Amino acid sequence: MLTLDGVQVSFGGVSALKGVSMTVAAGETVGLVGPNGAGKTTLFNVISGIVRPTAGNITFRGQSVLKAPEWKRARMGIGRSFQIARPLHHCTVRENLIVAQRFGAGRIDHQRIDEILDLLKLGHKADRDAVSELALTEHKALEVGKALATDPHLLLLDEVLAGLETNGKRAFMEQLALVRDRFNLAMVVIEHDIPTISALCPRVVVLNFGEIIAEGPPAAVFRNPEVVRSYTGEAAA
Amino acid sequence: MLSLTLQALFSGVLAGGYYAMVAVGLALVFGTMRIINLAHGELVLLAAYVAYAAESQYGLNPVMAIPFALVIVGASAALVYALLSRIDQDREINSLILTFGLGIILTNAVLMIWAADIHSTTAPWFQESVVVADTLFAMRSEVVFFVGGLVLMAGVHGWLNHSWQGRAVRALSSNRNAAKLMGVNPRRTEILSFLVAALLATFAGIAIYTGKTIFPSLGHVMTVKAFIITVLAGMGSIPGVLIGAVMIGCIESLTVTYVSASLQELAGMILFLVVLFVMPSGLFGGRKAIAR
Repeated sequence: MLTLDGVQVSFGGVSALKGVSMTVAAGETVGLVGPNGAGKTTLFNVISGIVRPTAGNITFRGQSVLKAPEWKRARMGIGRSFQIARPLHHCTVRENLIVAQRFGAGRIDHQRIDEILDLLKLGHKADRDAVSELALTEHKALEVGKALATDPHLLLLDEVLAGLETNGKRAFMEQLALVRDRFNLAMVVIEHDIPTISALCPRVVVLNFGEIIAEGPPAAVFRNPEVVRSYTGEAAA
Repeated sequence: MLSLTLQALFSGVLAGGYYAMVAVGLALVFGTMRIINLAHGELVLLAAYVAYAAESQYGLNPVMAIPFALVIVGASAALVYALLSRIDQDREINSLILTFGLGIILTNAVLMIWAADIHSTTAPWFQESVVVADTLFAMRSEVVFFVGGLVLMAGVHGWLNHSWQGRAVRALSSNRNAAKLMGVNPRRTEILSFLVAALLATFAGIAIYTGKTIFPSLGHVMTVKAFIITVLAGMGSIPGVLIGAVMIGCIESLTVTYVSASLQELAGMILFLVVLFVMPSGLFGGRKAIAR
């Protein structure tokens, strides 16, 4: 579904991504991990079109998306959530989803909106005055909901579980798994919490200094000495 | 004394109506593009001079000049947008320089074509006195364009809140990147904002030509006034901008009545500074939003 081929990004003289190549299959959930500054969010920015790569190619569902601006990529089926929630202020939760659906999917389907609200447990807050009243978990759910409303085939979730306590993380992760299965989505999830990412993602890709240093099943990857050194900062066992 | 004060406040409210039309346009463009269009006042100037040319050269009623002014001002706004959209680095500062330069070019073009003389409509209908609530006087033009301006701004408010393109404007204003990832086409939304701003500027220009006097530096004066009002209101809501505009209109009118006409602009500036000192986010600030 998604193929990155030798993607490079430079900001001035600094290389943020150094020839990243990876694939995500339809319906697959991939964890993207790495220490701060590894290039995880930059990779999301490149896939979603916010940042243009200096070299390399990105194909989505068989088409190169390099020249497509971010709003076209959203309409092609690449959904994205941000680490810091970016709702439309002064709009209700439902209005946020409807705007995303109208522009991202090009249609209004109230049944799907209701379904998203139910899956993300936002139904009781759907028509409250403004999103500024939401709790942290609800803000996170809204971020996912806005992306889901655009009818994506691929969902990029940037530290959507960050800041939640253990039980909250577990509950939210279960919701994400339900959402993925219900809408048959491919997902790429950036997350620092190893137990969480191991439970959610059958495959993990590790970035460090803009390069992929390991990928594979979580159990094997998190035992990789290079990953241990780069990601946790601890010496290899 | 009381009737004089009431009359000053009434005149201030009426002036606030067309100040608001200019300021809402500036705020709309700022909301969608995060740039301050320093040539916005010159669009008002252009509309006013189109009305003047239509009346003085072709004998047209200034109201009949509105369609011509709309086309010319709309085309000018589209040109400003086309140039602005080519800026891809340091957009905030480069757009200020570009629009400041365009404002100077437009002002000098007006000066070259129509000279520096002061003009106003010669149609007596606009300048006839009307009495409101038995004791308050105004020119017919002021009342007509105040009411027309309110209707127009209510329309823009409704468009922002209830149309899909209006919601796209609000989405871009709320968070540009998030809106784009929701599928909002920023270019289409931005050009639409410019055209709506041009529509408001056109009506404001015709209002000023029929109710006040016009001169080539009017554009600069209107840009500064619109900027002050927009910041005073908190870079946001249309009702907030309207209240800010009426406040500026009233303080100016009271200053002219009780102090001196030469201190009119200074009074507005002092109010602006006092409000910003006490409420740094403006009267209705706090969140970046258009409408509501």
